[in-house]
Amino acid sequence: MTALAPFTLQTGLFFRRKLLETLRQPVWIITGLTTPVLYLALFAPLLRALAGGPAFPPGHVLDVFVPGIMVLIAFGAGMGAGWPVIWELDSGVIERLRVTPASRLALLLGTVLRDVVMFAVPGAVVIAVGAAFGYHVHWGGLALLFPLLALLTAACSATSSALGLNLRQIGSLAAVVTGAQLPLTLLAGILLPLSLGPAWLRALGHVNPLYYAVQAARSLAAGTVAAASVGVGFGVMAAVAALAIWWGTRAYQRAMA
Amino acid sequence: MSAPPLPAVQVTGLRKSFRVAGGPVAGGSTVEAVRGIDLAVAAGEIFGLLGPNGAGKTTTLRILTTLLPADAGDARVAGEDVRRAPGLVRRRIGYVGQLGGADKEATGRENLMLAGRLYGLSAADARRRCAELAEVFDLGELADRAVRTYSGGQRRRLEVALGIMHRPRVLFLDEPTTGLDPQNRANLWEQLRRLRDGGTTIFLTTHYLDEADQLSDRVAIVDHGRVIALGRPEELKRRYSADSITVIPEAGPDVLDAVARELADVPFIAAAVVEQGAIRLTATDATRALAAVFGALAARGVPTRAAAVARPTLDDVFLRETGRSLRDGGSPAGGADAGPTGAGVEEAAA
Repeated sequence: MTALAPFTLQTGLFFRRKLLETLRQPVWIITGLTTPVLYLALFAPLLRALAGGPAFPPGHVLDVFVPGIMVLIAFGAGMGAGWPVIWELDSGVIERLRVTPASRLALLLGTVLRDVVMFAVPGAVVIAVGAAFGYHVHWGGLALLFPLLALLTAACSATSSALGLNLRQIGSLAAVVTGAQLPLTLLAGILLPLSLGPAWLRALGHVNPLYYAVQAARSLAAGTVAAASVGVGFGVMAAVAALAIWWGTRAYQRAMA
Repeated sequence: MSAPPLPAVQVTGLRKSFRVAGGPVAGGSTVEAVRGIDLAVAAGEIFGLLGPNGAGKTTTLRILTTLLPADAGDARVAGEDVRRAPGLVRRRIGYVGQLGGADKEATGRENLMLAGRLYGLSAADARRRCAELAEVFDLGELADRAVRTYSGGQRRRLEVALGIMHRPRVLFLDEPTTGLDPQNRANLWEQLRRLRDGGTTIFLTTHYLDEADQLSDRVAIVDHGRVIALGRPEELKRRYSADSITVIPEAGPDVLDAVARELADVPFIAAAVVEQGAIRLTATDATRALAAVFGALAARGVPTRAAAVARPTLDDVFLRETGRSLRDGGSPAGGADAGPTGAGVEEAAA
C-alpha cells in the first residue's frame, strides 16, 4: 500500500502546493509584476543623468540597469520564502509533513522552484518592458542569464527557509533578512555600478557572492557570453545554491522540540 | 488461533532531556522530560497515555513518531526501530498533532490529496480514498472550501482524516479532543473506535480522565516522565480503589444495622456501615453488591428510597500513586477537565 512516491513526484506535489499558495494571494502577483516595472519607470530616469559620466560603463543606461533589476528580482523572489515557513511551523503543517516519509529535500525544493517561477515571470516582463524603452536584447546572453539568476533565487529561497526554520520567529527573521539586504545589494553594485565607488568599497564587494552574479549578469545582458565573469558567476552561484539547499534540507531534517 | 501479533508499539527504557535556556543558573538547566518509560501496545487496541501537563506525554509521542531522537532506550513502532529505520516507521504510521497541521489556505480536498499522493497513492486511488473519508468524517460539502473557514470540530475531523489517508497501521494522536465541544468529542471517540475495530492501533495522549477511561482499552498513567500505572482502566481502578455504594432504605436504625451486618459478610463487599439513615458500602464489584443489598432489603420487605454508586476514577489511581490529583494539577484550563465517571443516582421504588 505504501510504496513511496518517487522523489520527482514529491517535488512536483510540493511545488504545486506552493504555487497554489501564491496564486491564492493576488496581491503578491500584482506587486511582483508592478515593482520591477516601477523600478524601470522611476529609477532609470535618475540614472540617465549619470550615464556617460566618469566611471559609468558605456552603453545605453538600461543596458547597465536592466541586469541590476533582474538580480534584484531574483534576490527578492527568494528571500521571502522564510515567512510562510514560520506560519507553517506555527500551524503544525511542517510537523505533520515531517512525520510523512516525504523527502525533506523535495519539501525544500517545492518552495525553491516556486520562487524560481516567481523570479522568471516578472524577469521576463522586465526584459520585455526594458526592450521597449531602449534595452538591447541579446538572446544568447538571456538564455544564460535566466539560469544564472535562477541559481541566485534558489540560493536565497533555501537560505530564507533555513533561517525561518532556525529562527522560528517572524521578528527575528525580518531583522536578519532586512539587515542583510542592504549591504548585500549595495556591495554587489546592483543599482549603481561599484565602479562608481572608492577602492575599499570595490574590495569589499569581492567578498559578496552577489557581486559575481551581478558581474556575470551585466556581461550576459550585454551579449558577452564567453567572458570570464560569466564562468565565475555560474561557479559562485552554483556553489552558494548547493550550500544553501544543503543547509535548508538539514534544517527540515533536524528535530524541532 | 495464530501466534499473538507483535506489539504495535514497544518501548523500553526511553529517556529524553532538554536543555532549557535561561534557567535559574546562567547558561540554562536540564529538564528530564522522559525518565525511563517502558510500555507495549498490542496491535488493534486504543492505548491512552494519561498524565498532567509536563508529564512527558508529548515528548514520548514525538519520539515514537520520529520527530525527536531519544537520548536512551529503544522504541519499535509497527515492527521497526524508530532510530534505525525512521523512514519505514513513517510509512506505517499516521500522526495527528496538537496543532493539527492542516494547510489552512488550501481546501480540505487539496490537503487530503497531497497527503495521499505523498504516500504513493495514485491520483485515482487518492481521489477514491478522499471521497471515502469525506463520507466517513462528514466533510462532504466542506471538502472544496478553504480549511480556514472550518469550525474547530470540522477541522479536527479533517486532521484525523489526513492522518489516516494512507491507512496507517498505527495512528498517533496528541491530545485529540482538546478544545472540542462535547458533541464533537463524542463524535471523534466514535470514529476512533471504528478505526480500532477496523484493525488500526491507536495511540493517544490525553489529560482528560474520561478519555483515558472510556475511550482507551489500556492506559499508561505518566507523571514526571515515568509510567506510574499501566493496565486496563477497569483493572487499574479496581486495583487501587473500590466502588462505594450508598443506599437509603425506608426503615428504622435497627433494621439498617441488621442489614449492614449481614452485608458485611458478603465476599465482594469490603465494608458496610450505617450513617444518617443510609447504608454505605465499599465493594469490589458494585453490580453484585447492589443486587445483594436489594436482596437483603427485599427479604425484610423494606422499600428503597434511593441508591447511588460512586465508581473509582483514574484520578483515584493517580492520587494513590502521587498524592496529587490530576484535576488540580492536570489542566490549567481547570473546569473543562474530566467529568466524574458514573456517579448515577437512581430512584428505586421497591
